[in-house]
Amino acid sequence: MSILIEGKSGTRHLLMGNEAIARGALEAGVHVAAGYPGTPSSEIIESLAKVCGPRNLYVEWSVNEKVAMEVAAAASFAGLRSLCVMKQNGVNVASDFLLHLAGSGTRAGMVIVPCDDPGALSSANEGESRHFARLVEIPLLEPGDFQQAKDMIKWAFALSEQIRNPVMVRSVTRLSHASGNVVFGDLPAVDAEAYFKHDGPALDPLQGVMLSYPVALKHRGQQEKLQQAVSLFEQSPFNTYEGPENPELLVITSSACCLYSTEAIHLLGLEERVGLLKLTTTWPLPPQLMENYLARTDKILVVEEVIRFLENEVKVLAAELAPRIGIKTFFGKKDGLLPTVGELNPDLVAGALARIFKMDYEPVAATYAAQAAEMAAKAPGRDLTFCPGCPHRASFWTIHNVLEMDNRQGFVCGDIGCYSLAMLPSGFSTLKTLHAMGSGAGLASGFGKLKAFGMDQPAVAVSGDSTFFHAVLPALVNAVHQQSDITLIVLDNSGTAMTGFQPHPGRPVDAAGNPAPQIDIASVCEAIGARVRTCDPFDLERTERTLLEMLADTPGVKVLVLKQICALSPEKKAKKMFEMRLDESICLGENCGCNRLCTRIFKCPGLNWDAAAGVARIDEVICAGCGVCASICPAGAISKKEVA
Amino acid sequence: MQQTTLLSDPYNVIITGVGGQGNVMASRVLGNMLSEQGFEVTIGETFGASQRGGSVMSHLRISRQTAWSPQIPKAKAHVVVALEPIEALRVLMVFGNPRTRVLCNTRPIQPVAVICGDAAYPDGTEIRRAIGELTSDARFVDATDAAVRLGNPILGNIMMIGALAAMGGLPIGRADFKVVISRTMDADKVTANLAAYDMGVDMIGAKEQ
Amino acid sequence: MHVFGSNELVEDVLKTDLCVGCGACVNLCPYYKTWRGKTARLFPCDLPRGRCHAYCPKAEVDLDELSRKIWQTTYDGSPLGNHRKIIAARAGEKMLPGAFQAGGTVSALVTVALRNGLIDAVALTDRQGLTPVARLITDWREVVNCAGTKLMAAPTLAAVNEAVGQGRRRLGVVGTACQMTAVAQMRTNPLEEEDFSDPIALAVGLFCNWSLDTRQFQQFLSAKIDLAAIRGMDVPPPPADILVLTTDTGTVEIPLSQIKPIIAQTCFTCPDMTAEFADVSVGMFEGRPGWNTVIVRSDKGAELIEKARGEKYLETEAMPEENIAHLSRAAAEKKARALRMLMRRNLLNNKNGRHAAVRMPTEIVERILKG
Repeated sequence: MSILIEGKSGTRHLLMGNEAIARGALEAGVHVAAGYPGTPSSEIIESLAKVCGPRNLYVEWSVNEKVAMEVAAAASFAGLRSLCVMKQNGVNVASDFLLHLAGSGTRAGMVIVPCDDPGALSSANEGESRHFARLVEIPLLEPGDFQQAKDMIKWAFALSEQIRNPVMVRSVTRLSHASGNVVFGDLPAVDAEAYFKHDGPALDPLQGVMLSYPVALKHRGQQEKLQQAVSLFEQSPFNTYEGPENPELLVITSSACCLYSTEAIHLLGLEERVGLLKLTTTWPLPPQLMENYLARTDKILVVEEVIRFLENEVKVLAAELAPRIGIKTFFGKKDGLLPTVGELNPDLVAGALARIFKMDYEPVAATYAAQAAEMAAKAPGRDLTFCPGCPHRASFWTIHNVLEMDNRQGFVCGDIGCYSLAMLPSGFSTLKTLHAMGSGAGLASGFGKLKAFGMDQPAVAVSGDSTFFHAVLPALVNAVHQQSDITLIVLDNSGTAMTGFQPHPGRPVDAAGNPAPQIDIASVCEAIGARVRTCDPFDLERTERTLLEMLADTPGVKVLVLKQICALSPEKKAKKMFEMRLDESICLGENCGCNRLCTRIFKCPGLNWDAAAGVARIDEVICAGCGVCASICPAGAISKKEVA
Repeated sequence: MQQTTLLSDPYNVIITGVGGQGNVMASRVLGNMLSEQGFEVTIGETFGASQRGGSVMSHLRISRQTAWSPQIPKAKAHVVVALEPIEALRVLMVFGNPRTRVLCNTRPIQPVAVICGDAAYPDGTEIRRAIGELTSDARFVDATDAAVRLGNPILGNIMMIGALAAMGGLPIGRADFKVVISRTMDADKVTANLAAYDMGVDMIGAKEQ
Repeated sequence: MHVFGSNELVEDVLKTDLCVGCGACVNLCPYYKTWRGKTARLFPCDLPRGRCHAYCPKAEVDLDELSRKIWQTTYDGSPLGNHRKIIAARAGEKMLPGAFQAGGTVSALVTVALRNGLIDAVALTDRQGLTPVARLITDWREVVNCAGTKLMAAPTLAAVNEAVGQGRRRLGVVGTACQMTAVAQMRTNPLEEEDFSDPIALAVGLFCNWSLDTRQFQQFLSAKIDLAAIRGMDVPPPPADILVLTTDTGTVEIPLSQIKPIIAQTCFTCPDMTAEFADVSVGMFEGRPGWNTVIVRSDKGAELIEKARGEKYLETEAMPEENIAHLSRAAAEKKARALRMLMRRNLLNNKNGRHAAVRMPTEIVERILKG
């Protein structure tokens, strides 16, 4: 059982930010939660899924973020509080619906939690959801610590119900994937009843129809709701100020930067000179509250991550208020004091403060830094690689080799998942494009139509099993209908592996672990008219032959499903399929014609190169026993024995 | 008698290693052992894509007063627990200072660059010497091999928690560990984890005498 | 002979379209593969010297050195290469008629060599669909399955390398001039390995003017006929000037002018029409259908011919001087054409560290060009 519902009101627990958000939703009496997995957001839905029974909660991993948001909105329309969770990229996907939803309004509280990833620690971009809140005109909240991560969710639900519109509570990696102590509040009763009232007066927000039409009327109403939100923001208990009454410098910040800023002020001992305004209601900004603090000083530093958002909003407000508060000097990103790329940390903020106050900030003594750098230079870097026993290594080995053998400068359009790593040497640098979910198949669909312009390079796309359902399907349907010439390879490792094995429509279970209808990828592809083959990627020989034949086959849409369970899957329970042995007397090392194929090229972390002995070795601790290297060694030095 | 106060507030611990070594779990266990006693604990973690063979770090901030930044400022680490030797060097370069203490597992995990022959893994004694020179107190234990003897290499991380407790400096003991592990683990795994913890304690204890 | 490594092979041969796809670099290591007529290298290999480069008939082939090693004599650029005699031959009464193309001499020689244990396996060229593939055969009854010209460059030598890797040392091989050049290089221990032993017991060469690019030929034909229905193909001697395809439903004739654009470009750099480094070379007998021209080059070749004739697998006759002269003229013209192409592409006798495709003494170059 989970601490999230066992923990009593008033007790204190060490929670991950995502768990705090989940607890906040439980304390708010959420009844429907939907999302699509994506780091750093996934643990919110996972935590809720664990307690869905006792909390009378419906939780789903939706096929994609847009559907997740629609599922959550339906609950709101029917009178149930609902939560919708995604990583930032998902907001892009859901934004079409979100724009209309913001126009139609909601009924029971609906909170959208996007988790951004400044610095792209586990993303292919560092886009931000804050801008979407402004774009679709819904209130934006940004908790600044772990307690707030919980408490503001509850507050957001109440706000959503007051204005009858969705509220965005934005988290970031350093909150979602960090942990801190959180004091629990009460859990409400679990009873709930759903009913969608739609036959009242058409424009009645609680009894009429849910439409963004008539647009002018609804849009005006939406903006009035925002004004309502602003007046609530003025009184919000979550916006706090620390520091002297009239500081030399006012730091305005939000989100994880609240923690960085506090620490930076402490590092420089500036507590008596700097005021820190920690904003949690960041759009629209509450003007009276801002006026109160802006009036206290002439110098303002805005601390936020990635591109300017808060800084611009504050500047616009300060310009409007200038007749009353005077002209201010602003520091932040515009002047280059803080970077517009990557995440912040206490040192970067301290560095900015030090420059404003003309202080020295040298956290590491120069001699120590030089000595440490010299020694650390000897530590080789750790490039990302597929895990030992990962089916993707075998899959990309074959895909790479087949494209070389095919000899027409074919290429692979990549997609989002662990297999994105195939853009690196560990995946034999096989991916030549990498964009959004489903973009691999979409790009291939386009490339596959360029034969008329003399392009005869084979266009191959890869997709994970979860990605297939998320966004590849429409691209594949497009390719079939447009008679494009593409080969799609579905790397089916039986789960959403990168984010922690969340189920998807191709799995026989749902988010709560209950049996669910399983949609077969191969059958779907056949049904839309693709030619489909299925292989086990660990069977290198058969996979290679099959893919070679598919590429040489007549043009059209071909799908190869490479099915092999992820090495880390809980279903595998870390059990080795094979006991691997390397016979050093057979291994020819650098002297064989292969020139260390196993470690120089295939380079599974389970293999080591013993330079002194001039032989490859198997690292028993790391080897996952997939058996693939036995098929690769040309000397036959590696053998495998099935584990009983 | 178990220590009950912090040598410094906040007290900063970094647990570093390679994806898959159980780094995150170790930081959670340690964090919970301290949180149980009423400390304000903040843990910052890097995982996700970086779990796939990359360097992984957890930053623990331990305080009597408040939550601190989930990223420790440069040069402010009090203790570095390294599940892999060269990761200790990497962390010290940014977060170390001459007073930093290090607990280091000696079992190397070859980076891809070493496996494929583009780079060499530094010699073990050289790493020891470097870590020793950069810190005030460096301890080296062979936790992975001991854990393999215990039946599962992943228990190396728990062994390191035991060794860390035995090193002193943090207000943690076996009772705290037992409480946390009993709450977070299935009952059948508690015994093995306690054994690993005790082995870790012994590794440091044996060296002291 | 300059031997470099895999990287030079890729730069000098694969990337310059000099690769004919003979298979000499395939199956030596895991890096070179052949598929549908093309040879590809899968991954870079940084070894400075390799058999892949040493065997390649398009990279640093020193004809004088090779001639000294194989024939113990200098390369003189004569049109038909080193030989003892030229005869006419066709399959004898022991060979079942109809199973082979033209005179059946090659099938007969290979059959006899296998039956008598002169070789214990032979690398031949088979077809998979329309694509020529290497086939290692140990049973003489299967030889005729591989009979018939493929017209396309074939990776036959991949089967030689595979067999050598398996430890075989009494191998036969049948192939075109470029393949015989590669085989000759294989036999001369170019990497000076200590435990080297010549694995080739019999090399049967095929006369060759050019071969077709496999993929372009397939594409060309697929627009005209059902590829699956093709049973055989032949280019009858001049003045026919056509390509004849035998299909399930009859024969299809294609003018050679249509075929010329899909000749592999590398063939225009080849100075060897009659497989000068084989034990025995076999081609058609212009003007006498059902017979072959046979150039007997080595003692081993001569002995095999005698044995085959004695066992009635082969029937021989003297070759008219007039035909020999005609063949010689054609071969000389090919040599001169190839040298001009090599020089135009800057691939002959390169100096200052630049790699050549072919090397030979400059006086020989002049002699060939004078005609």
